[in-house]
Amino acid sequence: MRRRPVLALLTLLLALAIVGVVPVVAQDKPRSGGELIFVVPSEPPSYDAHQEETFGLIHPTAPHYNTLLRVDPNDRTGTKPVGDLAESWTISKDALTYTFKIRKGVKFHDGSEMTSKDIKASYDKILKPPPGVKSLRKEAYEAIASIDAPDPTTFVVKLKYPESSMLLNLASPWNWIYKADLLAKDPHYYETHIMGTGPFKFVEHVKGSHWVGKKNPDYWDKGKPYLDGYRAIFISNSAAQVAAIRGERAMIQFRSFSPPERDQLVQALGNKITVQESPWDCLNFVSMHHEKKPFDDKRVRRALSLALDRYEGSKALSKITLVKDVGGIQVPGTPFATPPAELEKLAGYGRDIAKNRAEAKRLLKEAGVPDGFAFTFKNRGIPHPYEPLGIWLIDQWRQIGLNVKQEFIEASAYHPMLKRGDFEVAMDFQCGFIVEPDLDLPRFLSTSDANYGRHKDKALDDMMHQQGRATDPEQRKKILRQFEKRLLDEEAHVIYTLQWHRIVPHLAKVHGWTITPSHYLNNQLDTVWLSE
Amino acid sequence: MTKYLVKRFLLMLPTLLGVALVTFVLIRVIPGDVVELRYSGDRGAVSQDLLDKERARIGLDKPMWQQFATWLWGVVRLDFGTSMWTGAPIWEEIKLRFALSLQVAIMATIVAVILAIPLGVLAALKQDTWVDYSVRIFSIAGLAMPSFWLGIVLILLMLVVFKWLPPMVYTPFWVSPWQNLAQLIWPALAVGYRYSAVATRMTRSAMLEVLREDYIRTARAKGLMQKLILSRHALKNAMLPVMTVVAIEFAFLIGGLVVTEQVFNLNGIGLLFVQAVAHRDYTLLQALVMLVAGLFIVVNFLMDAAYAWIDPRIRYR
Repeated sequence: MRRRPVLALLTLLLALAIVGVVPVVAQDKPRSGGELIFVVPSEPPSYDAHQEETFGLIHPTAPHYNTLLRVDPNDRTGTKPVGDLAESWTISKDALTYTFKIRKGVKFHDGSEMTSKDIKASYDKILKPPPGVKSLRKEAYEAIASIDAPDPTTFVVKLKYPESSMLLNLASPWNWIYKADLLAKDPHYYETHIMGTGPFKFVEHVKGSHWVGKKNPDYWDKGKPYLDGYRAIFISNSAAQVAAIRGERAMIQFRSFSPPERDQLVQALGNKITVQESPWDCLNFVSMHHEKKPFDDKRVRRALSLALDRYEGSKALSKITLVKDVGGIQVPGTPFATPPAELEKLAGYGRDIAKNRAEAKRLLKEAGVPDGFAFTFKNRGIPHPYEPLGIWLIDQWRQIGLNVKQEFIEASAYHPMLKRGDFEVAMDFQCGFIVEPDLDLPRFLSTSDANYGRHKDKALDDMMHQQGRATDPEQRKKILRQFEKRLLDEEAHVIYTLQWHRIVPHLAKVHGWTITPSHYLNNQLDTVWLSE
Repeated sequence: MTKYLVKRFLLMLPTLLGVALVTFVLIRVIPGDVVELRYSGDRGAVSQDLLDKERARIGLDKPMWQQFATWLWGVVRLDFGTSMWTGAPIWEEIKLRFALSLQVAIMATIVAVILAIPLGVLAALKQDTWVDYSVRIFSIAGLAMPSFWLGIVLILLMLVVFKWLPPMVYTPFWVSPWQNLAQLIWPALAVGYRYSAVATRMTRSAMLEVLREDYIRTARAKGLMQKLILSRHALKNAMLPVMTVVAIEFAFLIGGLVVTEQVFNLNGIGLLFVQAVAHRDYTLLQALVMLVAGLFIVVNFLMDAAYAWIDPRIRYR
């Protein structure tokens, strides 16, 4: 009698296997082994994340390190902090003291123990770099009054004032934890060496060619990583990147491909490829020089925004280049993003384009701008998405009677041009590593080095500070809506185009990796596994 | 002969100095610098103070003549400094890429010579016959097709027909000859074909000229065998201009395969050139230009020496 349930179970399993359910279930369970091969379109200048800006460093090198906190690797919005070296944390009632409990038993790749002393030394280097050492993001931690490591498993951060973004800021993918002793001996050590606690150990870097990492068998997160190792191949040419995936010489490229490249891969590889897509925390916006006429007049700036048919533009441009969603000051779908219905109330975001353009023409007339007024729009000489976006903008502005000439400036000469203020209207851009107002919006402060349009707006600056200190998320959202309305509508200091769209096609055998809005996130590879 | 060679050698020095000066000035005329590029990445907002400090650290704040003098003094001591982008010694950046570019250049030269000399001689011997026309079509096609385009076609062909792609990572020949050749044979074929087209046409026209010379007619009149006339009298004399073309193409291949290297993802000198320009890595770019200019000058010098050795009239002139 006891055999019957067993037989029934076996029969059921056989039936499931026949209809193909069992393999699916089996594939959901991570499998150990294999080497992940991925393409990196850029190469790291140095190995020190505290002083670099490029994903070319993060993609091949992040698997060697841990951070205090990290962004949840399974969260598609890329905005949820979870512990990495911190096991847990508490925040004081006045929101001024953050106390982190640090994991025990974490070892550097040389076998030495990692303690809170190493975390403090790493953050000291970020917050107060020694002379001659660069720290690119220290301004983001101005709220920090002090850091302390009272015992080996406790790390304390004290703030001067509450800052709602502090936890996410401490989850920055750039804040790798280095070994205190090595930093004490040579603060430049990490520019040329690798020594972390991460899931993979360093094997080799052949400049211009590849980077290799192997599994760290003593990794603190038992059972991880699943891969035996990884190999990052540096390929700058996009056609060669596509060929590498298509020829299965590589499995994934973590930054993004363009829509035509995605289609090409899907057509060639069929069910051997999976595509993950997400709104991207990168954006092109139009800066207008506030000290040059007629762009000193907010009516003119608003008219330029009202001329854009963002919804039709999205449909057309998303087929050929890296843009898609219509968004406001935060990436659509993330916690502080304005809902679409509310966004439509902003100038230039309404769906009745005829009405918008009639209003734009009225504003131009009122500001004394004649029909056929000519100006030069400066654009960066990069094919995607700058060039198609530039052509689209010119076409839209032509429809309200403006005569716009586009001038392309070579990519490396572009920033100096913006800084000199040598433009009337120009394409500007930004790319964030975590979607968070405190990280994305400071460039719009009147005092910012990146305020290329040179606007002066104390009310906007005040809102920026207020939202950063608001501890209640709903209150913060309210202030951010006001900020958005002032920045994009009432004053129209800048004109947002369309949100970049991230497209990552990868071989279907790659599992355990979730796309987020940032190409700087989710590159530790500890959760990634291969089904073949 | 020695006096001739010393004179040619001494002429190399002002040429190199001229190249150094022109390169140094021209690259600094291009807007933007390495600091701007490195720290105005995707976020695009770095303080002016940080940019100024970094410029001072790598010496970009000094007057241009001072920068040139410092660099030139280093060059005289064969110290090209460190890359402004990576901070690594220049020679470290160049050596791996140089090995790859040199191998591709040698392989492409072998392909070119194997194709060009027999075909060129054959076309000259069978002038205005179907053989000559076929060789001419073959060589004109080689001239008309850019090698990078041929490379793309080769890659697509391998992908679509054979579902196979050459390895994307360079393996030195002594580590795995098979892997090495599997990667490099394709660019060598693509580049070698174009290269052979130039050399084939040169071989054909040089041979046609030599075959009409009096001494060839005399040799024939004496009843010498055609094979002997060709190998001992015609080919040796016709090879002078062909050697020049082959040598100059060889020097060009070391740093000139910019697009082809990108198509095949070859980590060579051409790609390094592009990266150095894109990053405004002045020190690396200056070293690369000096390397390629030096190669051209050395190849020219060797050609002059070879000419003088083959044709005594040159050294006595």
